[in-house]
Amino acid sequence: MLHMKDVSKVYRTEMVETHALRDLNLEVRAGEFVAVTGPSGSGKTTFLNIAGMLEELTGGVYTLDGVDVKSLDDKARSKLRNEKIGFVFQSFNLIPDLNLFDNIDVPLRYRRMSRGERHKRIETALERVGLASRKKHYPAELSGGQQQRVAIARAIAGNPTLLLADEPTGNLDSQMAREVMQLLEELNEQGTIVVIVTHDPEIAARARRNVHIVDGVAADVERGPALVQKDVKKAFSTAETIA
Amino acid sequence: MDFIPIISTLRRHRTASILIILEIAFTCAIVCNAVFVIRQRLALMDRDSGIAEAEIVRIQIAGIGKKADPGVVTRQDLEALKAVSGVKDAAVTNMVPFGNSSWNTSISTIPDDPSAPINVATYMGSRDLIETLGVKLIAGRDLTPEEYVEYSNGGGSNLHIASILITKGVAERMYPGQNALGKVLYVWGKEPSTIVGIIDTLARPNDFQPTGMTYAIVMPLDVDFTVGGNYLIRCDPARKAEVLAAAEAALKKVDPVRLVMKRQTFADVRKEHFTEDRAMAWVLGIVSISLLVITALGVIGLASFWVQQRTRQIGVRRALGATRGDILRYFQTENFILATAGIVLGMILAYGINLWLMGKYQVERLPMEFLPIGAGLLWFLGQVAVLGPALRAAAIPPAIATRSV
Amino acid sequence: MLGYYLDLAWRSLRRNFSLTVLMVLAIGFGVGASMTMLTVMHVLAKDPIPQKSKVLHYVQLDPRPLRGYTPGEEPLEQSTRQDAETLVREHRADHQALMTGGYATIVPSKAGLDPFNIDARWTSNEFFPMFDVPFLKGGPWSAQDDANHGRVAVIGKELAEKLFGSTDVVGFSLRVETTEMRIVGVLDNWQPIPHFYDLMTEAYGQGEQLYLPWTTSIDLDLGHNGSTNCWDSKHDDSKALGAPCEWIQLWVELDSDAKEVAYHDFLASYWADQVRAGHYERPVNIRLRNVTDYLDYNKVIPADAKLGTVVALGFLIVCLVNTIGLLLTKFLRRSAEIGVRRALGASRVSIFMQLLIEAGVIGLVGGVLGLLLAGLGLWAIRHGVSAYGHLAHLDVTMLAATFGLALVSSVLAGLLPAWRGCQVAPALQLKSH
Repeated sequence: MLHMKDVSKVYRTEMVETHALRDLNLEVRAGEFVAVTGPSGSGKTTFLNIAGMLEELTGGVYTLDGVDVKSLDDKARSKLRNEKIGFVFQSFNLIPDLNLFDNIDVPLRYRRMSRGERHKRIETALERVGLASRKKHYPAELSGGQQQRVAIARAIAGNPTLLLADEPTGNLDSQMAREVMQLLEELNEQGTIVVIVTHDPEIAARARRNVHIVDGVAADVERGPALVQKDVKKAFSTAETIA
Repeated sequence: MDFIPIISTLRRHRTASILIILEIAFTCAIVCNAVFVIRQRLALMDRDSGIAEAEIVRIQIAGIGKKADPGVVTRQDLEALKAVSGVKDAAVTNMVPFGNSSWNTSISTIPDDPSAPINVATYMGSRDLIETLGVKLIAGRDLTPEEYVEYSNGGGSNLHIASILITKGVAERMYPGQNALGKVLYVWGKEPSTIVGIIDTLARPNDFQPTGMTYAIVMPLDVDFTVGGNYLIRCDPARKAEVLAAAEAALKKVDPVRLVMKRQTFADVRKEHFTEDRAMAWVLGIVSISLLVITALGVIGLASFWVQQRTRQIGVRRALGATRGDILRYFQTENFILATAGIVLGMILAYGINLWLMGKYQVERLPMEFLPIGAGLLWFLGQVAVLGPALRAAAIPPAIATRSV
Repeated sequence: MLGYYLDLAWRSLRRNFSLTVLMVLAIGFGVGASMTMLTVMHVLAKDPIPQKSKVLHYVQLDPRPLRGYTPGEEPLEQSTRQDAETLVREHRADHQALMTGGYATIVPSKAGLDPFNIDARWTSNEFFPMFDVPFLKGGPWSAQDDANHGRVAVIGKELAEKLFGSTDVVGFSLRVETTEMRIVGVLDNWQPIPHFYDLMTEAYGQGEQLYLPWTTSIDLDLGHNGSTNCWDSKHDDSKALGAPCEWIQLWVELDSDAKEVAYHDFLASYWADQVRAGHYERPVNIRLRNVTDYLDYNKVIPADAKLGTVVALGFLIVCLVNTIGLLLTKFLRRSAEIGVRRALGASRVSIFMQLLIEAGVIGLVGGVLGLLLAGLGLWAIRHGVSAYGHLAHLDVTMLAATFGLALVSSVLAGLLPAWRGCQVAPALQLKSH
């Protein structure tokens, strides 16, 4: 589904050149639940931005669902993002001017769906996260956990194959965090690939697969009966210690 | 205040900065030129007629059909007018200062000059015209009754006009550096007319911009009311309305088969004459004020945005020890820099527009004093506009720095 | 999608209400002021007689003495009575008429109506067919009437209604000063703008309601309205035949280029004849301008109207720069929202369209305001006493142009901010602030 080969990302300003990712290799297959971990500044967010086609890669190849992302123009890329990917952010990123219903409506609008279809999906998504009764409320009227559930509803309303979550529990207390994680796990069980970026070991521990990024390089740490290492290069030793 | 960090911040908000500078520049350029044109128009409207305006009223009358002897009727009219209570003097004249309808002729110091140098307004009227108008003679004397000649419509060279009065403007133009009194001018053809008196100012009925505005002569030609049909009445300024009504009645009594075309005080004549100039001054004034208001609102809009955008940054600065005054001054200085850039560009633009207008619409050169006045005005405007947002910025508590958005 | 964008625009505009009001005001005032002045210009710059403006020609000759002649100078503005009468009599053009402005006192026969003065035109009979003057009743007087100094009149609809309460008055008698005239024709509303055939009287005036044969007006010595310029003092009466005075307008209709050339040749030979007879001294200097050229040459549009238009357009530019600035701040303030939308699948084009439509909505509302303000401005111009004020009305063209201007202006103003807005990178905005 998601395949990254030797992906690199360099930020250039007038003064400095920052290598956020170096030759990152990663493959995520259907049905996986992956936690991406790593210390602050290691390139986790850059990885997520590239995976979500929010940023362009500097080098390497990134194919999503068999499509080479680099060959797409903005319009095609937006369409792909809209149809295949759902986002959940640490700061929820709900649009404050829109009520819950309209917030969830946003990605569906860009898919040019019929009115009836959009309504059905929004209702379903809101029910799925248990907030159907509050669709006319505005984000500011909800608690953090509720806002994040709306964000998840928005992410899943379009039936994405890949759900990208950036520290989804970072702004939540532990009770709420557990609820959100439970929701993500349920989604994964129903077939959505979930990739979650976190620095919380407890959250990472719930994932079936851990990918550790240090200095822009990924190391895979498979959870389960056996610890399998793939694509391990320079960062192996660091990965081991954390794992 | 240190300009450098402010300027580098502005460079990071280049588009918005350029827009506000452009807005200030355009406003500056347009307002400078508009105010300049307004000033010119006001000066025009304020032009001295040279006559006793406060005391003069005018009745314009037209006969119906040809009169057997309009001269007789005119003499009766004048007698009747002078008998009206409150009237000091009355005269008939072919035209009225600022009255629009005009008689003009070219004059020269030599006979039958095909390229006569100037064109003058030619006043003709009954014997009391000078007294009635109340013009000031600065040299020589008024025309005497003996000098008057009967005038018949269309006549010219067959009349011998021995003496004339001219304005100071004509005297200085025709006999520069000399005493024009006693010298001659050729008005209509081959016979010379001696200059017997010089009038300080007597405005023309219409505008001859820009040089000819002071050129007028008075000829001793006894016209009747069919020539222009203007009765000028000098009266007690407090009784103008009453005198006008009584004068009209008196004229109707002399000969009822006539139409009163105009019945007005001289103030009305002046007002009517400068209608378009007044309208233009108003339009330009309203546009200028609107421009300043819109620009001020634009400054407020942008400053508010920047304050909002930098809320956290301001909080951090406050937490690091900046006083309210520091924050306030930061935004004031920022505005000062933007305004200055706008003013510099605006002044260049103002002079450019002025040059273009000079070529097209008889506008004079923009005087240098508009530079400091325009600059001061826009600086002031900018500071007033930015004060609100800057005070809001200064009121941001340092605690905001520790709060996540 | 348009509906969605309109909905979003509406929400956004309602949200920042004061900013929205400010932008609407800026566009509205800019458009209102510009449209007021452009409407005035539109009226002032009209072709007064579009169907004939290329075939009607104004004749200018120069019978002045050689003294004072400067090569290359313009001939006389108007014609002498001698030239005008001769050329009309020669009858070499498809139509020709001489004319001058005049005024006369009408003495109504209707009880309760006092005598009054009106503007009139003294002319010859081909004036009417030449200028396509529309008749409601009757028609022009005949060439015979011109020759016989006939006591006949053509009057305007307005005057007919005022005097008789009806327009069906052909054959009625009309007292002009002391003479009874027989009405032969009543004109429908006719007021060419500008008053091209005689710019000596008000170019944007109300026009005339009374037309009498030229010869009759001379007989009765009726009043002259316009400018008389005499260059030789050896005359007693400026209106006399042979007087060295210009005060008459002479128009000819020449229906083809060939005829125009032929008429020019005719004037040249006339000139030569006059020189031989000792009446003319100057070298041949003929102008035969058509209506369009004649109006251009006379710079008939008042300088103040042009100046006003320039100022109004300058005002619009400032209003636009202002709107660009405000839209930019408004859009950039929404960077977070834009970033989220981009992440959720909105393409750059979608964002661009969304923002541009928001600018367009401001333009439309501003256009309505601009229309109201233009209406107000024109009302003020009509009630200010400027000579052309009464002509200032919005017609359908200008109505559409107002909305067009508002929309184009605001969309133009929206282009840069919308472009900047759609450049907002999605990734940067997704991190917590």
